[in-house]
Order: sequence, then C-alpha cells, then structure tokens
Amino acid sequence: MSARTETQPILEVKDITVTFGGLKAVDRASLSLYDNELLGFIGPNGAGKTTLMRAIIGMITPVSGHIILAGQDISRCRIVERINLGMALAQQIIKPLKDMTLLDNVALAAGGDKLLSPVKAILNRSRQQQQEVANSLLREVGLAHSVHKYPTELPLGYLKRLEVARALARQPKVLLLDEPLAGLSKTEAEGMANLIMSLPRKGRSVILIEHNLAQVRRICKTLYVQHNGCHLAFGETEDVLANRDVQLAYLGKSE
Amino acid sequence: MAYEMIVLTNMLIAILFAQSLNLITGFCGQVSLGHAAFLGIGAYTSAMLTKSGLPLVATFIPAMVIAGTIGLFVGAASLRVRHDFLAITTMGVSFLFTGIIRKQDMLGGEMGIAGIPSPEGGRVGLLLMALCLTILFIIVMIYIKRSWMGYVFDSIAEDEDTASIIGIDVRRFKLFAFILGTAGAGLAGALYAHQVRFIGPDSFGFVESVTVLSMVIVGGIGSIWGVTIAAALLSVMPQFFQVIDDYKLLVYGMLLFLAMRFLPEGLGGLTKTFRKDRGQT
Amino acid sequence: MLAIEILIQGLIQGSIYALIALGLTLVYGLLRILHVAHASLFTLGGYLGVLITNATGSLFLALLLAMIIVGFVGMASYRILYYPILSRPPLIALIASIGIFIASEEVFRIIFGPFSISYISPPLQNQIDVFSGIMLSEARIMVVLLAFILLLGMNWLARQTRLGIATRASVVDPDMAMSSGVNVETIRYSIFFIGSAFAAAAGVMVSLLNNLVEPTMGAVPSYKALAIIVLGGLGSVRGALIASLMLGVIESFGTIYFGNLLDRDSLAFAFLILVLMIRPKGIFTKG
Repeated sequence: MSARTETQPILEVKDITVTFGGLKAVDRASLSLYDNELLGFIGPNGAGKTTLMRAIIGMITPVSGHIILAGQDISRCRIVERINLGMALAQQIIKPLKDMTLLDNVALAAGGDKLLSPVKAILNRSRQQQQEVANSLLREVGLAHSVHKYPTELPLGYLKRLEVARALARQPKVLLLDEPLAGLSKTEAEGMANLIMSLPRKGRSVILIEHNLAQVRRICKTLYVQHNGCHLAFGETEDVLANRDVQLAYLGKSE
Repeated sequence: MAYEMIVLTNMLIAILFAQSLNLITGFCGQVSLGHAAFLGIGAYTSAMLTKSGLPLVATFIPAMVIAGTIGLFVGAASLRVRHDFLAITTMGVSFLFTGIIRKQDMLGGEMGIAGIPSPEGGRVGLLLMALCLTILFIIVMIYIKRSWMGYVFDSIAEDEDTASIIGIDVRRFKLFAFILGTAGAGLAGALYAHQVRFIGPDSFGFVESVTVLSMVIVGGIGSIWGVTIAAALLSVMPQFFQVIDDYKLLVYGMLLFLAMRFLPEGLGGLTKTFRKDRGQT
Repeated sequence: MLAIEILIQGLIQGSIYALIALGLTLVYGLLRILHVAHASLFTLGGYLGVLITNATGSLFLALLLAMIIVGFVGMASYRILYYPILSRPPLIALIASIGIFIASEEVFRIIFGPFSISYISPPLQNQIDVFSGIMLSEARIMVVLLAFILLLGMNWLARQTRLGIATRASVVDPDMAMSSGVNVETIRYSIFFIGSAFAAAAGVMVSLLNNLVEPTMGAVPSYKALAIIVLGGLGSVRGALIASLMLGVIESFGTIYFGNLLDRDSLAFAFLILVLMIRPKGIFTKG
C-alpha cells in the first residue's frame, strides 16, 4: 500500500524561501505530500521547520515559491481561505482560547460555514451537533475527563492534545502537526502517536514535525529532513535515519 | 414630570449609544475612540430630514444606513491596523468628522443646526421611541451573544490570530460588528438630535467618544448588563448632582483611570469573578 | 503669502511638534505605552512658563524651572500612572492615560481658572528681518533655536553617556539590556524626566507664540503628537522628528490649499489615516 504513486500530490511545496531581516530561515524548500500519507518532518532546532509550516498555512509570507493544494495554487490566499480549502495546523506554541472550555474551543472549530458567514452565524444558535463532534474528538485525544475545564486550569500536555483535537475538528484533508508529542509523558506520547498513525486511514494526509524520533520511526514511513533552512534528505524512514548527513546534522550542530 | 422625562430619555439614548459601542469593542474586541462621530452622522442625517418635513420615525432607517455605510468604510480601513494603531486611527476618525462638519455650510458649519423640530408625540413620544428602540437593541445584543456570532466574536476578541487559524473569517466578522455598531450609534444619534434639538460639531467630539468608551469599560467590556448600568449611572449622575456636571471631565477621566487601575474587567467583570469564585468553592 | 514663508511657518510648528513627540516616542519605545497624558505636562509647562515669567520677569528662569518641575512631575506620573499596570495589555494603559489627560484639563481649570492667562509684558515680540524681507518675531526664532539645541543635546546624551547608550540598548532589546546590568527603572525615570521636560519647553514656546495659556491647550497637540509618532514608526526618534517637521509643513500648506474643506487639526488625521492605510505600521518602520 504505497502512498507514493504517480498521482498528483495533495500538497506541493515548491521552492519556498522565507527570510527574517535578511536571514534565510527557509531556503528553497520543496516537498510533496500525497493522499493519505503520514510524512515525518524532522531536523535539528532552528532548522526552520515551524517557519515552513507557518508559510504553508499562510501566517508568514514567503519571499518566493509556491504552495499548491490539490492542484490549486494557494500561494496568494489568506490563512482563512487556505484553512477552508481543507488545511489545519496544530501549533507548537499552543494557543487555546482561555475564556472558553475545552469543549467550546473544539466545538467552535467544528463550526463550518458559520465561521465564514456572519449571516449564517447570526441565524444559528444550536451548538449541539458541534459539541458532539468535539466530545468525541476530545475523547480520542484522551481528554474526555476535562471537557468542561478551562485551559488555564490544565497542564501543558493536555493543551497540546487540545490543539490537536481542535485542528482535527476542522476535518482537514491536509493536517500539519507541529510537535504534538512535546510535553507529553511516554504513555501519553505513545497514545497520541497511535492516533496520528490512524489519521491517514481516515482520509487525512499529515505532515508531522516531531523531535521524538522513537515515535516518528515507529509511525512514519517517509521522512523529510531540513537543516539550516535547507532540504537535507528525503526518503524511506530507515534509509534517511541511516544517512550520514542526517546523523551529522543531529549530532554535530544541534544548538 | 417634564424634567424626569428628559433625564430618562437621555439615559435611554446613552444606553443605546453605549451598547452600540459595546458590540464593536466589547463583543468583537475592536477599540474605537471615535464612536461619537457615528452618533453625529445619525444626528445630522435625522435632523436634516426632519427639518425638511419628514417625521422622526421615518429618519431612523436613513440615519442607520448612512452611519452604518460610513462605519463600513471606517471598519474596512481599520482592518489594516490593530491594537494601538486601531485606537489612533479611530481617534483620527473622530477628529476628521468634526473637522469636516465644521467646514460644511450645508450642515451649519461651526454654528451647527438649530431649530430641530419637536418629534411627533412631543417628549412622551420621544421617550417611548427611545425606550422601544433601546430595548429592541438590547434584545438583538442578547440574541447575538447567544448565537454563533457571539461565539465567534468571543474568539476574535480574545485572539485574532487563533481565530483565523481555527478557520474564522476574522475580517468579515469585524466588518459586520462595525456596520451593526455604527448603525446603532446612528440610531442613537437620530434620537439625540431630537432630544437636544440643537447639534453642532462639538457635540460629537473626542471627549464624547471617550465618555461612551468609559461607559463600556466601566460597565465591563462585553457585558450587556454591566454596560447598561454604567451607561445609565454615568449619564444620569451629572444631571442630578450639579457638582458632577461641573466637573464632568474630572469624574469621567478619573473613573477611566481608576477602572483601568483597579477593575480592568469593569462592573461586568465583578460579577464574573464572583461567579467563578463561587463555582470553584 | 510666499511659499518660503509658509515653509518657515511649517518648520516652526514642526519644531514644537518635535519637542512634544520626542517624549512620546521614547516612552513608547521603552514601555509600548501610548502616553496621551504627556500633553497634560505640555500644558503644565505652558502655565508655569507664563506664571513664573510674570512673577519674576525672567523668561529664561521660567523656561528652566518649568522644564525641571515638569520633568519631576513626569517621573511621578510614571510611578503613579503606569508602573502599577505595566503587566497589563497596552490598551489598558492607553485608556488610563486618556482618563488622566481628560481629568487633568479639569484640574487646570480648577486651579488656574477657566479663562486664558497671558504674559503681562510678552517677551521676544520684536520682529527681525531674517532675510530679504521675511520678518519673524524673536519668539519664533527662539522656538526653532531651542528645539535645535535641545534635540542636539539629547543626541549628545544618547551617544556619549552611559545612560544614553543604555537607553538606546533597552529600546532595541529590553531583555538584553537588562541582562547586561543596566538598571531599567533608572532608564525609565530618566526618559520620563527628559521627555516631560521637553514637553514643558514646547508648552512654554507655544505660550510665547500665542501669548496665552488655557486649560485645553494640550488637547490638539496631544492627539497630533500621537499621530506623529505613529507616522514616524512608533518608538523611532528619527522617524518622529522627520514626521514632526513634515506634518508642520504639510499643515501650513494644507491650510492654504484645503482650508475650505478641512480644518487644520483634522488635516493631520486625514494624512495619518491615509498613511496608515498604505503602511499600517507607520512610514519609517523597516519592512
């Protein structure tokens, strides 16, 4: 069941370059994500992984390059347009809405066209359906016991999972996960990794940034490695991890 | 009786005006330091129309439409700026409005518009209209708060970036808040013009914008009841206590400062903390 | 009027704006607070200038005392007004500051009375022929000179003294400056002192040009100075100075060409809004 076929990729990143005050954070990054693929994205700290994710979702404007989602060039689209074309991002630095319960945080993201059209928003009051979706997602990420708690009452590990649940509530075709396992205990990380592994079967293509190499190795078939903003390696997970350049990048210059 | 009626009408207009800002600043989190300009737009529109013979009731819609349309433009412009910059841009709107009005002979220029006709039904009529419209507006506000729009506004008010990552079209919702809020101010303006029956550029200056903002802030940003109470108290107090009227600016100014210093969530926040405390114990 | 006369008018006005805007932009640079109440200090400076001159007969003494007294009041305003709410979002401080500013107008009215106060014998009123028939009063020349001297002095302080270098460092990067052993509080107090003293100097100058002070004299300059520091790219001293002079000149030409459309004071804001629409973070910010 090889995900890499001759078909068109669902997400194509072409020659993306991002600079911050003259410094190249990402230098001509290119990668492809195919339908129902789980692509691991690794690299030492400061490799520009988060920056590339933000450029893909539209939080940062790259100086050059293209992003193509399901054949459509979305390089000039606003964040909200990209998200509504079927992308979602669970950020590394979690951003829960603090004045809402976990349930409301996730149910909001499941709001569909009520988040796009003020008219639809004002004409609808019931949140029941979205709350059901939210409940089941929170259960999946292991937060069933905290649905009515506020983010300020919960530890970081819980909020990381909230972030993932909220991204899933968008029912994205392409899901970008930025270090979803960070801050989780070993068993929690294992559970979350299992959940992530199951996503491609549910029709979600995933790019997973993660430092927990044990889990990445276990769940990802293909890996993309970035170092100092540049592409370093790409291929089958074991081949990539055996690659000398990759090992050097990790051991040699991990600031 | 006549005096009490005037005071009561003033109070209702103040509540309507404050709620219209509450929609923009409280619900949607967009600070406006120029809201009095839209009160002015409504007032001028309505006054010109009644002076040309239309009944007051017929001017409500035009006052709202014109204020809301200009609000749409200001809102569209405000989309480009945030936080401090937004505060200053809206402050600029306030100065721009009075600056333009001052130079328009058609609108009475510096002198303003005098002899605005008494509304049909006299003082009682105006009071009743103010009462109905204010209650109606509050009902709309309550409805919005409970609908998906209120839900979305909450997220925008807290963190725009997160709201857009969730997939919310922040721009459209902000614009909607601006249109609705400025139209509400236009409506309050129509009533106001016929309450005082004389309007000039100085009736809608920066101080008035700050006054209404202080009502929203003292009342507790976003809290419908807090803002209603604050607007009622702050508008009535100067009329009952001469001292407060004499030193209105001092009172409003110190209130703003003290509210920010000691009660940043306002009266509404007070009940919220109270409820939270109770909920936890 | 000759174009050059209009230009000079604009530059004079611009120098006054510069003196006011300097303190504002420094405070913003350090604390990220829009210090609207700064204009109260400008008004206080104006009153002190007139009252002390009338009492002692010396404008120089009045200017000096006004700058020192207002400087200390500025330091106190930091301690009382901003220090307790520094950790809150900047809008809280902005609104608190507006509150204090509005209240202060009333306080001036209570203390000094609602009517304007003038110099008993207005100093520096002689007209001087600057060149080829362009006449300027000594007061006007003094405004430009004083602004020039003060700003030059500031520049020297900023570049040559330890405090100045530390201040510039903390505007660029507060955390780094703190970790390099600079006392942040000292810097903040000195910025408030200097900024407020400059505002006081501007107040005295305006009182001299108009030969009157009144409780509301701070209103228009305060908001205009905000517009200026936004145009200059918040926190940038050079940007604020250029924007001050530009606004002064634009206003004096604008009043002549657009005078029947807009009054002078809203011209600044029309310009501000226009610029913000094109560059949402000010003209002189990078990127």
